[in-house]
Amino acid sequence: MTPFRSMLLAATAAVGFAGPAEAQQRIPVGHLMDNSGPTSDVGVPYGQGVADALAWVNRRGGIAGRQLAVSGFDYGYQAPRAIAQYQAWTQRERVVAIQGWGTVDTEALIAFVTRDRVPYISASYSAALTDPTGRAPRADKAAPFNFFYGPSYSDALRAMIIWAAEDWKARGGQGRPKYVHMGANHPYPNSPKAAGEALAAELGFEVLPAIQFALTPGDYTAQCLTLRNAGANYAYLGNTAGSNISVLRACQTAGVQVQFLGNVWGMDENAMKAAGVAANGVVFPVRTGVTWGGDAPGMAAVREISRGGASAAAEYRPVHYLAGVCSAMLMVEAMQTAAADGGQVTGDRIREGFYARRDWVPQGFEGVCNPSNFSAEDHRGQMNVALFRSVVTGDTTQGSVAELMRAGTMRLEPVTTITLERRQDWLGW
Amino acid sequence: MNWELLFQLTLNGLIVGTLYGVVAMSFVLIYKASQVVNFAQGEFLLVGAWVCWWLLTEHRVPFLWGFLVTLAFMTLFGILIQVVVLRPLIGEPVISVIMVTIGLSIFFQALMKWMFGVFAQPFPPIFETQVVNVMGLEVQSVYLMSLVISVAIMGGFAWFFTASKHGLAMRATAFDQQVAQSLGISVRQVFAMSWAISAVVSAVAGVVVGVVNGVSSALSFYGIKVFPAVILGGLDSILGAVLGGIIVGVLENVAHFFDSTLLNWGNMYQIAPFYVLVLILMIKPYGLFGTRTIERV
Amino acid sequence: MAAIAMTPCGDFRQSYREDTTIFPTRLSRHFAIAGVALLCLVPLTGDRYVLSLMIQMGYLGIAALGLNILVGFTGQISIGHAAFFGVGAFASAWFVEHGVPVLLAMPLAGVATTAVGMVFGIPAARLKGLYLAIATLAAQFIIEDFFARARWFTGGVAGRITQPPSLFGFAFDSNETYFYVVLVWVVLMFVAAANLMRSRDGRALVAVRDHYLSAEIMGINLTYYRTLSFGISSFFAGIGGALYAHYILFVSVEAFTILFSIQFLGMIIIGGLGSVMGSMMGAVFMVMLPEVVQWFADAVAGGMIDRALRLGNAVSFLREMVIGAAIILFLIFEPDGLAHRWRLIKAYWKLYPFSH
Repeated sequence: MTPFRSMLLAATAAVGFAGPAEAQQRIPVGHLMDNSGPTSDVGVPYGQGVADALAWVNRRGGIAGRQLAVSGFDYGYQAPRAIAQYQAWTQRERVVAIQGWGTVDTEALIAFVTRDRVPYISASYSAALTDPTGRAPRADKAAPFNFFYGPSYSDALRAMIIWAAEDWKARGGQGRPKYVHMGANHPYPNSPKAAGEALAAELGFEVLPAIQFALTPGDYTAQCLTLRNAGANYAYLGNTAGSNISVLRACQTAGVQVQFLGNVWGMDENAMKAAGVAANGVVFPVRTGVTWGGDAPGMAAVREISRGGASAAAEYRPVHYLAGVCSAMLMVEAMQTAAADGGQVTGDRIREGFYARRDWVPQGFEGVCNPSNFSAEDHRGQMNVALFRSVVTGDTTQGSVAELMRAGTMRLEPVTTITLERRQDWLGW
Repeated sequence: MNWELLFQLTLNGLIVGTLYGVVAMSFVLIYKASQVVNFAQGEFLLVGAWVCWWLLTEHRVPFLWGFLVTLAFMTLFGILIQVVVLRPLIGEPVISVIMVTIGLSIFFQALMKWMFGVFAQPFPPIFETQVVNVMGLEVQSVYLMSLVISVAIMGGFAWFFTASKHGLAMRATAFDQQVAQSLGISVRQVFAMSWAISAVVSAVAGVVVGVVNGVSSALSFYGIKVFPAVILGGLDSILGAVLGGIIVGVLENVAHFFDSTLLNWGNMYQIAPFYVLVLILMIKPYGLFGTRTIERV
Repeated sequence: MAAIAMTPCGDFRQSYREDTTIFPTRLSRHFAIAGVALLCLVPLTGDRYVLSLMIQMGYLGIAALGLNILVGFTGQISIGHAAFFGVGAFASAWFVEHGVPVLLAMPLAGVATTAVGMVFGIPAARLKGLYLAIATLAAQFIIEDFFARARWFTGGVAGRITQPPSLFGFAFDSNETYFYVVLVWVVLMFVAAANLMRSRDGRALVAVRDHYLSAEIMGINLTYYRTLSFGISSFFAGIGGALYAHYILFVSVEAFTILFSIQFLGMIIIGGLGSVMGSMMGAVFMVMLPEVVQWFADAVAGGMIDRALRLGNAVSFLREMVIGAAIILFLIFEPDGLAHRWRLIKAYWKLYPFSH
């Protein structure tokens, strides 16, 4: 054989072997979670949801035959650790996407992920992350690589205010209803404040001055008494579960009659157990179509994910678990779009994958994950907000969450789904 | 001026303030006896709350017995901390000891989360009536319990420090360690006792907070609330600590009243104690009841 | 006297000027210069993770040095250092927002922080000991509250985006390039601090710490020097904050909490109070401790010990507990800090075999 032909043969052999070798190459993904820090009470179930879903995808063959190499890191809600871990991930593992967690890590990493072109799917639903170009009238930063599954905090509050207006009329309320925003003077509770108060004013509510209470549990009788004194009808609790519980109990003791509106991280089954009867009647947004135990075609897949999970097989999974599953599945399907027809799975292509579908529900999760729509100018995935009401009818101090839900002492009742207009002037705040 | 609301808020401040006073008392006790600033005070509350919760829910112990067992456990706990961690540091600069208590707080926060999980847990109902009406204000009965207990503790301390041998030994040690040792007082025992008593008192406060708010890891933030109370009252005065706590409680609530009815700034509840603290320190640098150290060359 | 006894033979001083050099011996000066030259080569390895850790050590070390000047050299206490760090970060971002080039905004931010620090230093003249500590705690909460409310300065609760430094169009926006910016500032600030300590003002600060009544009798104005100390310490904190802001490119009020202040205290206590080098050693310790523990946790996870104890998720709790325990054990065995231990090690080798 001539040298040229042997070289050609060697080259063909190399390509031939490299083909399947390429297919074995794992896709590196980063996963930040908080299992031990201040937000761990909601971080643990969400993180489990993401991890279990990704493990399930791997068991079923991965993405186009390639397994996901998921690198999980518990950063304890301390931004410096998240930043250091991010540097390690982009340097060594060369992650192509990251499942993030809260405000502190998401915001610290915006500039970095934009520069490195790594899609960041967070559990922080701040409206400031929804403007990819930064050109919306009230937006102040461009976040082209930030995505999240679910309605933004601002849109969720807008939906609850629209419901409150309808509820006021349905109850036969006289005059203008009074709305008040309650929360700490802190980025997380303040995220939807301006949006909520603006829409409330637009819809004819009398907007009372906001009432502040800290993010830590404490005695909030004073806030409840002023709430009663001001005659508020609808109060939005903007803090996380720990301090919301204190307010609910203090207001129950003080005999305050107010319709409380919760936020996604401020009310869940564990908070219902901790607050007991004080949490009865709180209306809050749920990111999935049903809660655990609900009836939907997609629940079969979710139950399969839960059974095979690395976390202890639990009898009951809180709302955050399902949201974590849907969040992970969005990323997975975007990767599948990128990998279709033998394409490279890179950050840019994953991002394009997010824009590829309309009314996107991950396959196999119908009825559980709500439809999302992302576009290059608008990262507001969901404009439909499902509202549920927490119903607590008895003593919650004995028995686990699973037992209480089974016995019916605690229930989550669907109230309604509000569809928001995709208004351009609402983008980014 | 909504006088009724102001009255209710002041009353609430007084009642809640006694709780702050209890926490402040436990802090001052340690400082007075061993000159240590205990940054882990909040974690003492947390440990007491979790242990009591565990006894009441996992083992269905009646409240009175569970509470007493918790107090006994906290006595041992306080002594253990003092012996294991703080005794090697006697004589070292105060700031190193402060850092060690900070290390302790990190350690116990993580340990409590590991042992009892990260979710907030409610306390089982303790009293027949959960809520009592006091002069028009609805108050949780457990706050009244804490009021009664704190008055009892104050009375107990008053007797202890003036009439009992151990109490006098503690005062002597706080005044001058060397002279106390020369009189035959075992300084080590005095330190251990002061930590044990402080742990017990913290546990009482912890249980009260747990009953009202549910037990969660964020309970330890009550330890930070104690600092303005302690400074207002003067660092080495137990009476001052209690009064400081009550002042902080009333201040928070009254400031909130003015804020919500007149000013509408929103943050006076959190920040007013700190502003007042700075003001008082400018006028009286040793707090209201603290001993003014006379400086000699 | 001990310092003179430690210099090797042949390295003698013939004038006061020679006696008050920043580096005690010629050899230590050469080591320091060689060390900086070696650090200049680190970005060439290209490991972003290591570089990011070193950048963190850089800006935290500068701020810790400021706190050490206040606590170690002047004998005050401050539990509000994170607030001043935050003032520096926000001030730098604010200046950049208003058109000042980043490399100029950094020292300006330091000056702005100095002004704020001196305002809080004035009450310090009357307060002593723990009362002062709690007053600084109050300052921490008051400044934190100010950050949350002052939209014009901090962007309110949404935070503020800022830019990386650039010189003649070249932007220092990657770990490799920003490392040099931080290195320059670290060298500048540490040399400045060492210089301060050998000057008249530095000696006055130490006199205030050691026996303020005697210092006052000697004619040192206590109020002036205590306030000055707060001002200087805030300048260092401001520079540290500005470096932090232009690295993360996003400044948010959430970052400057009481826990952060306590971490600074930890850095100087573990590093050694009253020691310039100790500040950097403490910063290195506090940055590396979680990483080292995490490394152990990763090594253990999934291995024999993990299965034997069924740790699973609890590894993160164990990590926090080990961090707390490490701080406690370190202080039990070396309460004077790393700098003191380093001095003992050096003395051992210098006097070998006669050390005991």
